[in-house]
Amino acid sequence: MSTVDHALAAAPATRIGSLNGRIQAQLGLVLIGLGAWAYGVTQLRPAAVGDYGLLTSANTFFVLGLVALMAGFVVELARSSPRGSLLTLNLIALIVAIHATIPIVYGGTPEYAWVYKHVGIISSFAHYGRIADPSNIYDQWPALFAAVAAISSLAHMNALSFAAWAPLAFELADALLLLGIFRLLVGDRRAPYLAVGLYEGLIAWVGQDYLSPQAFAFLLWLAMAYVILRWLRAPDARSTGSRIARLRARLVTGMTPAPATTRRQRLVAVVLVGAIYFVIVAAHQLTPYVILAGVGALMLLDLLRPRWLVLLLAAIAGAYLAPRYGLISSNFGGLFSGGNPLQNASGSHGTYNAGGEALTAQVVHYLAAAMWLLTLGAVLLRRKTLGRVLIPALLAFSPFLILGAQSYGGEAIYRVYLFSAPWCALLIAGLLLELRMPRRLPIRWLLTAGVCLAALFAGLQGLYGPVSVDAFTRSELRASQWLYAHAPRGSLLVLPDDNFPTLQAADYSSYDLQVMPSDPQLGQTWLDEGNLADVRSWMSDLGHQTAYLVVSRSMRADAHYFGAPRGYDELVSEIPSALHGAVVYHDADTTIYRLTFG
Amino acid sequence: MSRSRSELTAYAGLLSSVLAIALVLGAPTAWLGLIGALLLACVPAGAAVMCWIDAGENAAQAGLTLAVSLTVLALASAIMIWLAAWEPRALLGLAGAAMISCVLRLRVARTAGAAR
Repeated sequence: MSTVDHALAAAPATRIGSLNGRIQAQLGLVLIGLGAWAYGVTQLRPAAVGDYGLLTSANTFFVLGLVALMAGFVVELARSSPRGSLLTLNLIALIVAIHATIPIVYGGTPEYAWVYKHVGIISSFAHYGRIADPSNIYDQWPALFAAVAAISSLAHMNALSFAAWAPLAFELADALLLLGIFRLLVGDRRAPYLAVGLYEGLIAWVGQDYLSPQAFAFLLWLAMAYVILRWLRAPDARSTGSRIARLRARLVTGMTPAPATTRRQRLVAVVLVGAIYFVIVAAHQLTPYVILAGVGALMLLDLLRPRWLVLLLAAIAGAYLAPRYGLISSNFGGLFSGGNPLQNASGSHGTYNAGGEALTAQVVHYLAAAMWLLTLGAVLLRRKTLGRVLIPALLAFSPFLILGAQSYGGEAIYRVYLFSAPWCALLIAGLLLELRMPRRLPIRWLLTAGVCLAALFAGLQGLYGPVSVDAFTRSELRASQWLYAHAPRGSLLVLPDDNFPTLQAADYSSYDLQVMPSDPQLGQTWLDEGNLADVRSWMSDLGHQTAYLVVSRSMRADAHYFGAPRGYDELVSEIPSALHGAVVYHDADTTIYRLTFG
Repeated sequence: MSRSRSELTAYAGLLSSVLAIALVLGAPTAWLGLIGALLLACVPAGAAVMCWIDAGENAAQAGLTLAVSLTVLALASAIMIWLAAWEPRALLGLAGAAMISCVLRLRVARTAGAAR
């Protein structure tokens, strides 16, 4: 009989009964949370979602379900020996609740207009089996698109049928790897789970987990990070007399020793890292350089072996980029588009509208500021044993280096946030678990629950806030599919607002898709859509005899949410009379007009 | 512990390879076919590699199996696109290769067990 068996045999029946009772109570909390969330979701209707998003128009069951899931998670963490199985179940339930809501409410249509563009590349690969449009930047970084095209071809199913579930799949996979990485970095049993729980709230808003190369590359980066931290850590260096060595020794004070490895293991690890990195390089333009910044920072402090690893990675990235540099140059103004980090960090310029947009933007700004400030606090509090936090701190702040070179079309700051968030979550989790608190009062766990809930609901406001804009109804998708099935190839397709599912067809490049240049934030001369003479003249200048003009619920929501394009409502009401548009398709959410030019 | 983790990976690789091939080739519905294709994408190639490596941690072992599988699938698919030689069914070969690797791993484990 094992020690555990002896202990169990010796335990009074009442204690075992109480243990079972507690397991059932914790499990009950997960099931109640999931049940309340599921019932709440069935009561949500897209039409009822306003400018402030899903959370503000959600019912009590939906909100209480999420609270119960997070509360159950923290209650289990607070136990003297938290059970991994229940924590894992809680995390899975939480991730499902966060990321399955929108696909369920919107009938499985993918969120974000740009996802349809990705589906178009996937369909093109599956249909033609080759790069059909070499001038398209997506075709030149094909790893993710080719992989999904293969899945789609093997299943005989269009990627549109499953693309909506990508955020859920990516987040579950990310959480698995993050749990592994965090366990490797900290000995504490609670911190890895708490960090993953926090992370799920922190990154909910940043919207980088949809079917996209960056979500795929991020997942692969986590795998790469595990391999590097498990097998390629430098053995503990002996401090020599030099000033640099003494500085390094001070920085690594308290660091857990590198795991023991053999030469063969390190060789296999380098091959794995090289292969994974090559696929990342072939999938996404920016991610390889964010990774280089992280690996380079670790290398600078001599924490990795072999020392030439960073050179190998840089060579892979450079060799892939060189023949394609023209595309980077034309899309992003070159690898170094600007050396002004503040400008590069300003994000996508919104025409900050009052109401929903302003509120959601403010919430996520506070969330981001809180995340980085708390992380800084966590590092400062461990200043005497910096080695304990050195690796996560380097990986949390190294992504900022990207801002010195690129704005990535205004998106660089979101990638910085994404790549920084896991390590920030780990450092904040450590801070919460190590802060000195009065022992008799459960302040630590109340504070932890408060921080987790604040991160979750702030993140969810960012994710669900613009949902009426970002998500599309099934009828909008049907309308788009009708358009590509019925408009003759070569037709001019016109969108008054850039928020409609388009380009998802395999032959997307056979159409001339034009979005009216009607956004004042472009800064140049922009088109006032209320001025119908200008609109007509702009369309006829495009050189087509006919045009298909689409208006939809999602465009109207976009125009109202962002306050642009101005004049959208006037344009819609005047199309039949002033522009002589003939309705060729109409349903509750979309109308398509055919316009003829003399 | 280490051996059981990598052996478990080998069993998972074998099972998923058989299931993936069966579902991709003979699924009665498109959704079952999708499950087969996703299985093929997410497990066999990674299991073929990770059944020889112990990541030292269960979540990491599963996560690396998934990530290595996706890496191999993406690489193989991208090569087919670059060469304009699109034959997605050839990816079933990944499941075949995984079965060989996983069986070999289990045989090595059995031989080592018998020797002890």
